[in-house]
Amino acid sequence: MTDPRKTHFGFEQVPVGEKASRVAGVFHSVAAKYDLMNDLMSGGIHRLWKRFTIEMSAARPGQRILDIAGGTGDLTAKFSRIVGAEGQVILADINDSMLRVGRDKLLDHGIAGNVHTVQADAQYLPFPDNHFDCITIAFGLRNVTDKDLALRSMYRVLKPGGRLLVLEFSKPESSLLGKVYDEYSFRILPHMGQLIAGDADSYRYLAESIRMHPDQETLKGMMEDAGFSGCEYHNMTGGIVALHKGIKP
Amino acid sequence: MDPSIGAAASAAIESAINRALRYDPASRARLQKLAGKVLGVELTAPRGTWYCVFSDGEQVVTVHNHWEGAVTTRLTGSATALLRLLREDGATAPKLGISVMGSTALLAELQAALGDLDIDWEEALAESLGDVPAHTIGQALRSAGAWLGGIASRGPRHMAEAATEEWRVSPPRAQFEAFVDDLADTSLALDRLAARVELLRSKMAARRDG
Ligand SMILES: C[S@@+](CC[C@H](N)C(=O)[O-])C[C@H]1O[C@@H](n2cnc3c(N)ncnc32)[C@H](O)[C@@H]1O
Repeated sequence: MTDPRKTHFGFEQVPVGEKASRVAGVFHSVAAKYDLMNDLMSGGIHRLWKRFTIEMSAARPGQRILDIAGGTGDLTAKFSRIVGAEGQVILADINDSMLRVGRDKLLDHGIAGNVHTVQADAQYLPFPDNHFDCITIAFGLRNVTDKDLALRSMYRVLKPGGRLLVLEFSKPESSLLGKVYDEYSFRILPHMGQLIAGDADSYRYLAESIRMHPDQETLKGMMEDAGFSGCEYHNMTGGIVALHKGIKP
Repeated sequence: MDPSIGAAASAAIESAINRALRYDPASRARLQKLAGKVLGVELTAPRGTWYCVFSDGEQVVTVHNHWEGAVTTRLTGSATALLRLLREDGATAPKLGISVMGSTALLAELQAALGDLDIDWEEALAESLGDVPAHTIGQALRSAGAWLGGIASRGPRHMAEAATEEWRVSPPRAQFEAFVDDLADTSLALDRLAARVELLRSKMAARRDG
C-alpha cells in the first residue's frame, strides 16, 4: 500500500515515502563539491559555527561520540582529536557518496583508528540503547523526513547524562536580516551552485529546506517532547543558524 | 556577543599563539609544562569571555568561548590592560585594574613564558574584533565577488584550490549582523554580485564552447 501522506521537499509537496530518495539525490549530486560550496556559500563562517558546536559538546578524552548526518566529516575530524586513542567517533550518514568523500578526507588528514563510518538513517539508528556520551547532527535534521522519530532515536542511543547538539539553519532574529538573507539564498546561492557545482536545483532545495525547518522555539519544543531536558539554544550570526542543546536525564 | 564573532576571535588568537610558538621552542617547552591548566579571560571592553587551555600535545594552546571544566586562574579587565600585563616588564594586575581570581602562580608563569614570545597581539585582535562593525555586507559581497571573479578567471581547477587555501588561512570576518544597518548598500551590492555571477557564468560558458 502507498502512504497517502505528503511532506515537504523544499517548497514542494511530495509523498512521505519519496522524500528520502529526493534528499539522497541532492547529496549524491553535491557530494564532490560539498566542502567547497560550504566555504563559498557561508563565506567560511560555517567553520565558526562548527567550532562553537565542538566547544558546547564539552567532549573529553575517552568519550564515545556519534556524528549523525556527518557528511564529509568536519565535526568528526575535530572530535577524533579530542577523544583520543581511548575514545571513539562514529561518522554516520544515510548517503554513501557523502560518506565516501568524508572517509577520504579523514584519511588525507591522517585521521584513522578511532573513527568508524557507518551508513545509517537518523530515524532508525543501528546502535544499542544508552551508548553515546554525545551526539551531534549538523545541518542534517532539516533533511530528515520524520524529525520527531529521529530525535527519539537519538535519545534512545544516548547515555543518561549525555547530550545532543543540533546545529541547523534557523530563523534570523531581525526581519531586516531575514530579508538580506532571503535575497542571498534565493538569488545568489543557486547561481553559485550552478557556477561551481553545475547544479542550481540542489542549492535551490537547500535554500527552500532552510525556510521550511522549524524555528528556534519549535525545535526546542520538539526536543522536549522527545524527552530531552535542560533544552536551550544559542543563536549564531543573528539567528541564521542556531545551536540547540539537550540532555538525556 | 554573537558566538560566531567569539569563535572568530578565538580562532585568530589561537592561531596567532601557535604560529609564534612554532618558531620559539623554548617558550613552547615552557608552556607545555602548564598542561592541564586553564586561564579564563573575561574582557570588559570589548565584552567577551575566553578560556585558554594548555596542553602538551601538538596544539600547545587552544582557545575556547565555552568551557565546562575547572578554571585555574580567571582574569577580568579590558583588552588593553590585559595586553599590557602580558608584555610590559614590571606590569602587575592590580596596577592595571585587572582582577585575578584563583591561582596567581599560573599568571606569573605565563608572563614569563609569553613575555619573550613575539606575538602580534594587536594584529590578532584587530583581525578578529576590531573592525567587524566597520564592515558592511556590501563590502563583503563586493570583495567576495571580486575574489570569485579573480580565481574564476584562472579556471575551475585553480578555483577549488584557491578556495580551500584562502578560507583556511584567513579567519572569516563577514558578520551578517553588523551589516543590517546598511540595507540600501546591501541590495545594491547583491545586485552587483548577482550581475557579476551572471557575467562569469556566461564567460565560462563561452570558454567551454570556444
Ligand atoms: C548539509 S549535509 C551536512 C554534513 C555535515 N554534517 C556538515 O555539517 O558539513 C546534510 C547531510 O545529511 C544527510 N542526511 C539526510 N537525511 C538523513 C537521514 N535520514 N539520516 C542520516 N543522514 C541524513 C545527507 O546525506 C547529508 O550528508
